[in-house]
Amino acid sequence: MTRAVITGVGAVSAFGVGARRLWDGLLAGRCAVGPLRSFDASAFTSQVGGEVPPGERSDPSSWNLPASTGAFIADLQKRSLLRDSKVLFALLAAAEAWQSAGCGSKDSDAGLSIAYGMEQAFLEDLVPLIYGDRLDFTREARVGLPEIRIRSVFDQASSLIAEMLGITGLSLAHASACAGGALAVAQAASLVERGLASMVLCGASDSMLNPMAFGGMCRLNAPSPRNSPDACRPFDRRRDGLVIGEGAAMFLVESEERARRRGARPLARILGWGSTQDAYRLTAPRPDGVPAQRAMERALRRARLAPEQVGYVNAHGTGTPLNDSAEARAIRAALGASADPIPVSSIKGAIGHLMAASGAIELASCLLPFSRGVLPGTANHRERDPECSVEVIGEAPREKRVEVVLSNSFGFGGQNATVILGRFE
Amino acid sequence: MSQEPVAIVGAAAVSPYGFGWRGLARSVRERRLSPGPSRELRLVREGALSFEVPDLSSEVDSGDPKNRKLMSRAARLATVAARAALEEAGWRDARDEIGCFLGIGAGGGPLDELRAMLLASLETGRFSQERFAQSGLATTNPLFAFHLLTNFTLCHGAIAHGLGGPNGAWFSRGSGTLVALTEAIEALGVGDCDRALAGGADCALYAGTFLELDRGQYLSRGLVPGEGAALLTLARDAAKPLARVTGWALDSDKARPISNRISDLLGFFDSRIPDALVIAPWGTPTREALFEALARRCAKVLDATASLGESLAASPALAWVVGLDWLLSDGLESVGVLSAGIDGDLGAVLLTRGEPR
Repeated sequence: MTRAVITGVGAVSAFGVGARRLWDGLLAGRCAVGPLRSFDASAFTSQVGGEVPPGERSDPSSWNLPASTGAFIADLQKRSLLRDSKVLFALLAAAEAWQSAGCGSKDSDAGLSIAYGMEQAFLEDLVPLIYGDRLDFTREARVGLPEIRIRSVFDQASSLIAEMLGITGLSLAHASACAGGALAVAQAASLVERGLASMVLCGASDSMLNPMAFGGMCRLNAPSPRNSPDACRPFDRRRDGLVIGEGAAMFLVESEERARRRGARPLARILGWGSTQDAYRLTAPRPDGVPAQRAMERALRRARLAPEQVGYVNAHGTGTPLNDSAEARAIRAALGASADPIPVSSIKGAIGHLMAASGAIELASCLLPFSRGVLPGTANHRERDPECSVEVIGEAPREKRVEVVLSNSFGFGGQNATVILGRFE
Repeated sequence: MSQEPVAIVGAAAVSPYGFGWRGLARSVRERRLSPGPSRELRLVREGALSFEVPDLSSEVDSGDPKNRKLMSRAARLATVAARAALEEAGWRDARDEIGCFLGIGAGGGPLDELRAMLLASLETGRFSQERFAQSGLATTNPLFAFHLLTNFTLCHGAIAHGLGGPNGAWFSRGSGTLVALTEAIEALGVGDCDRALAGGADCALYAGTFLELDRGQYLSRGLVPGEGAALLTLARDAAKPLARVTGWALDSDKARPISNRISDLLGFFDSRIPDALVIAPWGTPTREALFEALARRCAKVLDATASLGESLAASPALAWVVGLDWLLSDGLESVGVLSAGIDGDLGAVLLTRGEPR
């Protein structure tokens, strides 16, 4: 059977632009969450986030990309085509993954499998359409307002990535909320295994750190009410909500044979994946965690692994009271008696919840055990919660050699996804 | 591409012809509907023509009215279709193992909410972020966001009907819906589930979507916006299937001339020689290219979008259901379905008569 391997990775996170920045931050056990700087959040219930450093967004010298790629992105910025931050993050991460995998024009047959969050609304664009107390779109045709967008185009980034890298293969855009990133990587592996593609650039990008989306999340009381960098406390007894982050992670996934043929060094194998639906409520996970458990079991079955072969669980771990307790139950149920000694951590305390991109950035962090023999820690996890009876790694990362890691991603609306990676020897 | 045939045990559709899929092929063939002045778009473009789903009766509509308020139009149509599909298939038990795979479109919220939010965010005629945070947001229901979350087109139906199996939603302007079908087939093939719903739901009548289509010059090239939802109920095995999905193909090589790509896709069919073809071109250029290529090959052709409108993510799925209805009502051995969405990809699906096991 054709096996899928990861041969390139790119990441953009609150630690900065580049996968190395993410890994260095996690290895140092740092927390990159802080006060929001890219817009005034003072009127919202939360003012902190895992924000990509504003200075790095417009500074091509910090991107560490080939000059032509950097110029392509900078030109889009000049033309105001990157108003939606997730498009910029997607381009940066994709370019890094492509470069780190050693891909070039000979790889133009690659496909794309990328997840995005909701379209960004541009409310300010609509002001010229106000007529009295009406919103009159017919004025647009009369006065000619070419810049009115209402919202970004869902898969705009995919079109631009294809143009930037000269990719001509099939382009898939996943819309599965916070499970999207994991599902996008899983489908890339599936396409490779089924022989429908031999190389897929995959991952996810998202940003809700803009007034409309962030304000909407605050209206739903999703963020932690604490306005401090340690607001997100996964699996901690004092946890009270998530912190919104932003960023992207992309991977080059290809067949092991193609990687060998072109001399690319695999970073990990993609061993299995599984998905389920809570079919419970729009905004709350099923408390018993059974659907999440079934996603993990499905992924183990596809990977042909026994639960005790899992060496580390990278949890969805949002830091919300409901998610973490349900997930802990699910992990214990799925991994059985072996759950106690299997270390579990969540990186959301360090970089926030990247929403549609969370599964992808967390898979990027799952490469650390293979490359550095280190399991990421759980920033701000200080007080054990008996409701979350799994072996949570504390704030400091843990040195440990593992062969198999399992990553969970659960989406708003009830979509659950699990991806299992294995060490490539 | 082809794979082990998968059984179709039922279907569902909500289209401009209303609720239901039986008889849809005949309605399309007789072109019983023409585009009319759009109710949905009256605030966006005076006199815009569209194909709209008529009001749904309370017997078929999606659950309780309170939940309906949280649904985008596409989510509502998808939820209605899911219930019908499950009922027709008689799938009442173990729904937590049923998969659901959908091509979906962009989010779209009520314009009234948007207007109220915007008006409350103005200060001396200009948009004020401060006013937006202090009073603009407060004008809307906190759950307004649920209209905009694209995956909720799938999730509302899954929650309403207890669909807990493997799942996925792809943003689709054509090919994503075919991908949803192929992933359902894959999930059945590898044993992730024994039963699955696959299809698409979308509404091209949201203000944002309509303006996007206008800017992309699709409207001026013959695209008539529509809306709808359609699902196939698929089973790994069935004693008496209605039909089978025998093969599929997808061409995303946009660099090649469309005529060559259509010929290649028809080559996929030629090895199986379908009795008839349903096509779903988004507008005039693809319609002309398809008819030119088909004139030499197949006498029986139905143009689904000509009488259903272009409902983006829903169009390919509606065309499959038209094909299924045609297959069954005319006693055909096989029907091919060719879809050509605005993403520029071409999709092909082959439906064949469902021989009893």
